[in-house]
Amino acid sequence: MDKEKWISSLVKRYERPLCSYAFSLLHDFERARDAVQDTFLRLCGQKPEKLKGREAPWLFRVCRNRSLDILRKEEPVCPLSEPQEASLPSEEKTPDEQTAHGDLSQLLPRFLSKLPKNQQEVIRLKFQQQLSYREIAHCTRLSESNVGYLLHTGIKTLRAQMINL
Amino acid sequence: MKTNDTKLTAYALNELPETERQAFEKELTPETRKAVEEIRALAGQLNAHYATEGETCLTDEQRETIFAAARKKKEKIIPFPRYVWMPLASAAALAGIILYVSLPRISGPTDRAVEVAGRMESTATPTDKRIRTDVDPFSSTPSVTRPKMELKKPAIKMKKSAKPKTLRRIARGRPYGKRSDAGAVSLYMSADKFEKTDCYGVTRTDSLTARPWGPSIENYAEIRENQFLRVINQPLSTFSIDVDTASYSNMRRFLKNGTLPPKDAIRIEELINYFDYNDAPPTGNTPFATHLEVSSTPWNPKHKLVRIALKGFEIEQSERPALNLVFLLDVSGSMNSENKLPLVKRAMTMLTRQLDERDRVSIVVYAGASGLVLPPTFGANRQAILDALKRLEAGGGTNGGQGIELAYRTALENYNKEGVNRVILCTDGDFNIGVTQGGDLNRLIEEKAKSGIFLSVLGFGTGNTKDSIMEQLADRGNGNYAYIDTFSEARKVLVDEMSGTLLTIAKDVKIQVEFNPALVAGYRLIGYENRMLKTEDFNDDKKDAGEIGAGHTVTALYEIVPTGQPVNGIPPVDELKYQISDSAPVRSDELLTVKLRYKEPDGDTSRKIEIPLRNVERSFESTSDDFRFATAVAGFGMLLRDSEFKGDLTYGQVIEWAQSAQGEDGFGYRREFIELVRNAQAIGR
Repeated sequence: MDKEKWISSLVKRYERPLCSYAFSLLHDFERARDAVQDTFLRLCGQKPEKLKGREAPWLFRVCRNRSLDILRKEEPVCPLSEPQEASLPSEEKTPDEQTAHGDLSQLLPRFLSKLPKNQQEVIRLKFQQQLSYREIAHCTRLSESNVGYLLHTGIKTLRAQMINL
Repeated sequence: MKTNDTKLTAYALNELPETERQAFEKELTPETRKAVEEIRALAGQLNAHYATEGETCLTDEQRETIFAAARKKKEKIIPFPRYVWMPLASAAALAGIILYVSLPRISGPTDRAVEVAGRMESTATPTDKRIRTDVDPFSSTPSVTRPKMELKKPAIKMKKSAKPKTLRRIARGRPYGKRSDAGAVSLYMSADKFEKTDCYGVTRTDSLTARPWGPSIENYAEIRENQFLRVINQPLSTFSIDVDTASYSNMRRFLKNGTLPPKDAIRIEELINYFDYNDAPPTGNTPFATHLEVSSTPWNPKHKLVRIALKGFEIEQSERPALNLVFLLDVSGSMNSENKLPLVKRAMTMLTRQLDERDRVSIVVYAGASGLVLPPTFGANRQAILDALKRLEAGGGTNGGQGIELAYRTALENYNKEGVNRVILCTDGDFNIGVTQGGDLNRLIEEKAKSGIFLSVLGFGTGNTKDSIMEQLADRGNGNYAYIDTFSEARKVLVDEMSGTLLTIAKDVKIQVEFNPALVAGYRLIGYENRMLKTEDFNDDKKDAGEIGAGHTVTALYEIVPTGQPVNGIPPVDELKYQISDSAPVRSDELLTVKLRYKEPDGDTSRKIEIPLRNVERSFESTSDDFRFATAVAGFGMLLRDSEFKGDLTYGQVIEWAQSAQGEDGFGYRREFIELVRNAQAIGR
């Protein structure tokens, strides 16, 4: 397959998903873009036939490593835009008030943000990127059963909170 | 049951393999079926939630860069950045630990936000991108806009004794630690911190600790101290000269911060060669003069100490050849602190004052991508250079390899046969994209060095200084390596000693010393551990060695065991029964002969010089200032390295010798040295 075409189709397909994934790790659009650009630049050094069928997990994994590198390498800076639910807890309505207003959609992100980070990450990879357990495992370097466990625990917590309303 | 629970989720999310799925389905009860429904409902909500999340995409320039790279198929790219540490054997084992430590921290960026609140100002702005992307880094022929010539500016005379320099003050606060982690890698994170973050359930207040964030990654290759060798077994000692000074300024950074530097950060020859000595420059047509001096060893009176000093000829600023300089600047995110990119800029601004209409300056930057931000510009056109510098901002990853390619290409396109052609790399050494693996990068540099372009590596910053990578690069690239920790250091390297840094007067300079077995039983070369050569390499012109710059002094010290004294405390072995050494020692009152080989900067064949040293009895006190000062520096290095040969040497003695040998000290470097020894003395207690 023509390599140029291969690259451009993958950029088209994965540019946004990778950007939002990188953003979730870096909390900064600029650096997220850098990480994604680096990921694709590295992709240019790969042989299409070698990655066939596992482009997505490969991209997410490299993107993740790049983001971690950036985090490790750079001096920590205050994220440009934190998820709202994490930064403005006091001014928000209580869950009860929100239910009363039928504002359920506001609650999910709030509960999500309270989950441990590793659960948040696998949930994001699963539901935002629609990756399989195996692909998530490849991306995060966890074992498949570990991914299953984290997802399960995260979902269980979310479910309990939603039901308790 | 936990396993079944997990399986339930996997089933609900269609993650079970087909056979397992069927088996599981049969066991479903109404209750678990309801749970499955709930999970699927939640999954739908989650999908919807993420679908509404704000999106971002690459900029058009970034996309273009990627497509350009795709067109350029043969680009060599290393898959995983972590392996940048791998070639460093000593650090390799620890690299995994760092990754593990930093991983959980990274998953919790909100915690971090609390720790570092108030640093918002330093957040990169979107304009950072401009520098990196407005130039197509891959275009094979960078468009060169020829700048208009400006009025001729008078060349500034550069003389070392011009004006006394204000002394850097050394922090003499209460020392807070003895030695920074002596290993290749130091981790600042304590065990309990590690545990807390590892389990992810960190509350925001938990992480409100004042500890520095994350691991500090500084790489130092292990140095095994040169041992005493027997002259009977090894009558020849061969090594390459080394004019690097990085180890000294790095050591100074540690001591000023109140810690002893890691042992392996100390390269004694670099400490000694940091200083300017008063040896006479050459008079004949050799590029450097050789001076030898001997006395008793102050830390072991039964031994002798020999100083070998090479002094390169000096060039007046007005007589120096034209410069074709390509600055290769790391503008990656990690350079974004006061002692990195801003210091680089200040240093370069200072350097531009030394340039005139003969010279050409280009600036190549590299981060995630690389680009030419200043096309070759005449040195007299200072404003253009300053404007380009002003625009530089840090941000992004570090693709050292690509920038190096572009820099050498730019240097080659403007190659000045009569002048100095040099790439000056300014970085914190953390290459993590592209050609990064030590070997590949070294080969690339070695290849480029053949084109007659020299390399200077200026190391900046702290925390992830890859000392060993930078030293190797300079070594392979026919260059020198200096570590710039302060503005004054930048001035020393780029202004006061500009000609030494930039003008190579001889390359591949090798030293071989032959000892006279009638007078010498054993010897030890102090320092130069990673510069040792094989005996046969001396006459092999293909073997690379160090370069000497204009006005440079290179000093080497040998501790010598006279005959009749035990070497390493062990008496000599018995004579061989089946082999008779047929040649009796030649009768001579020479202690040793120093043989030197060097090439002209553009030459391929070496020339040889031989200088004998007669055996004389002399007390240490009666030696020259330079001899005593070099010895003091070597002694300090031995103490910092906790050398097995330091005997009963003390910091007090080092201070005493250095004070007695302070000499003129126009720039105050020797005084600063004494302060540093005092610092070390205070910390060591």
